[in-house]
Amino acid sequence: MNREATSDALGLHERASATPERARPSLQAALGSAPAWTEGKLGLRAQQSWFSDIVSTPQGEPAPVDEQSAARLVTPSATLSSLERIDIYRRGYHARLIECLLDDYPVLEHALGTEAFEALSRRYIARYPSHAPSLNYFGRHMADFCRTEPLPEPGFAADLAALEWAIVLAIHAPTARTIGLEDLGQVPTARWPGARFRVNPSLRILHSAYPANAYLQAYRQGRPTRVPAAQPTSVAVYRTGLSIWRLELEPTLVTLIESLAKGATLEAGLAEVQALLQHEPEHEIARKVTHCFQHSVSSGLFSEISL
Amino acid sequence: MANRFQLPNLGIGLGLRTSHYSSILERKPAVDWFEIISENYLRTEGRPLDFLDRIADLYPVVMHGVSLSIGSTDPLDRQYLSELKALRDRSQARWVSDHLCWTGVAGKNTHDLLPLPYTEEALAHVVDRVRAVQDFLGAPLALENPSSYAQFAADTMPEWEFLARLAERADCALLLDVNNVYVSSKNHGFDPLTYLNAIPFERVVQFHVAGHTDHGTHIIDSHIGPVSDPVWQLLAVAHRRSPGVPVLLEWDAEIPSFEETHREALRAREFIGAAA
Repeated sequence: MNREATSDALGLHERASATPERARPSLQAALGSAPAWTEGKLGLRAQQSWFSDIVSTPQGEPAPVDEQSAARLVTPSATLSSLERIDIYRRGYHARLIECLLDDYPVLEHALGTEAFEALSRRYIARYPSHAPSLNYFGRHMADFCRTEPLPEPGFAADLAALEWAIVLAIHAPTARTIGLEDLGQVPTARWPGARFRVNPSLRILHSAYPANAYLQAYRQGRPTRVPAAQPTSVAVYRTGLSIWRLELEPTLVTLIESLAKGATLEAGLAEVQALLQHEPEHEIARKVTHCFQHSVSSGLFSEISL
Repeated sequence: MANRFQLPNLGIGLGLRTSHYSSILERKPAVDWFEIISENYLRTEGRPLDFLDRIADLYPVVMHGVSLSIGSTDPLDRQYLSELKALRDRSQARWVSDHLCWTGVAGKNTHDLLPLPYTEEALAHVVDRVRAVQDFLGAPLALENPSSYAQFAADTMPEWEFLARLAERADCALLLDVNNVYVSSKNHGFDPLTYLNAIPFERVVQFHVAGHTDHGTHIIDSHIGPVSDPVWQLLAVAHRRSPGVPVLLEWDAEIPSFEETHREALRAREFIGAAA
C-alpha cells in the first residue's frame, strides 16, 4: 500500500484583482451578427447584461455585436476600437477561469496537453459559468464533463480529474484531529468489539477504472508518463494537518473503511474483512486483518473512537 | 493627516500569496502587515483557514475582496456578506475593502472587475449599496478605484468625480491604487494628477502599488514585475497629501521569492520618506 503525500499542491486559487493575461492579445476582435441594440438609451441593468454577454462569449466565437453597436455603448480610445476594448475583458474572463482550472487539474493538463486542456476548459467555462463569489468549487464538474467530451481516453481523463478534485476537496475539508495507534491503547479490551470509528472528515475513497494515482505519482516524481491500460484501483484521499495524502487501498482496507464509515462496529467491520479472506489459511487471515486495521489507524483515516 | 475613520497607519505591507506561506511561517519576517484576498478564504473549512489563522496570529491583516460586485444591478448577496463578516471577525481584519466595479449580473460571476458607466443613475445605485454594506458590516467599507480598459458612451462625469461624490454621499473610505490611476490614465488619455487632485484624501485609508504590462496600444494591470517609476512618483504625490496612510504592494503573477517581493514593497520608503 503506497501512501503518498501531495505536499506540493497548495490547492488554493490565487484570486487577485489583477487582469490575467493567459491568452495572447488579439486586437483583431471578431465581428459578430447584427446588433441587438440599435435604438434608444440603455439603463444600467441592460448595459450590464449586454456587457456580460459579450465578455462571456467563448473566445474564438464572434462577439455577439458588431463594431457599430459596440461603439454605442463603449467609446473607442486613441488606439483601440470599442470592440477591442471590450475584448480585453473577454480575454481576462476566460484567462482567469482557465488558470483556476489549471490550479485544480495540473496533471490532467499534462495528460491532455496544453492546447487540448485549454480547449476543454473553454468548453467547460461555457457549460458551467460561475455563480459563486469564490472559485474554490468552480472546477467541481470536470470529471463528469470529461466523460462527455470528445477526448482520446475520456475514461482515464475522468478518473484523473476525479482524483485531482478529491485532492481539492481534501484541502477544503474541515480540519480534524486524527487518532493513532497510541489512542487504541486507551481502549479497554472488552470494549473493542463494540467500538465505532468516525472517519477523518476529509476522507474520500475513489474507485477508478484506470490507475490514475500511479499516473499522478509518476508525474509528480518527474518520471515518464503514458496513458495506462484500464485496471481497477481504489485510492483514499485525505488530509492530516496541512498534508494531503493519497493511499492506494487493497480490497480488505476498502471494505473495512467503508464499513466503519457507515457506522458499523469494529467487530462487524472486521467480520466483513474476514469474509473477504475466507479462502486463505486461518493464521494468514488473522495477520492480514490485524495489519489492515492497524494500517488504517496509523495512516490517519479516523478522527474519533466512540465506545 | 489622519483619515477621518481613524483607521491605523499599518506601515508597508504585502499581499499575502500562497507561494509565500511556508517562508512566512518558518521565518516570521518583519513585515508590517498583510492584505488577504477575502474570497480565497471563503467557502472553505480547511487548509486555507489553517494558514490564515497562523498568519493572523503573527501579523495585522486587512481584507481585500473581489466579488462584492458593488455596482451590479443584482441584489446584494447577503450570504456572501455574512461570510465576509465572519471572516473579518475570525482574522481580526483591520478593515474590509473591495472595488468600484461589478463582477456579474443575472446571478453569474465573471470574477473580473468590470467597469461601470459613470452616470447619475449608477452613482445613486452604488451609493445606496455602499450604505447597505456598511450598515451590514457595522464598519466603513474602503472602495478601490479600478484599472479600466473601456469607457462608456453614457458617461456624464469622469471616474475621479464619480469616486469623490460616491465617497461623500455614502460616507465610505477609499483605497487609492496609484497603479490603477496610472493604467487608466494611459488607457483613457487623462492626466493622473487631475485624478489625484479630485480625491478627498481624508477618506483614503490605504494605498496600493503594483506592476503593470504595457502593450503599446494599452496597459494591463497585470500585477507582474516591479512597480514602475511613474507609479512610485504618483505614490509620492498622493502620500504627501495623506501622509498617515499605509502602502501595500500587490504582486500576483510570476511571483518571486518572498524576500524579493518584500524588498520591492520596501522601496516605498524612498518615495514616502520618514512617514513610513
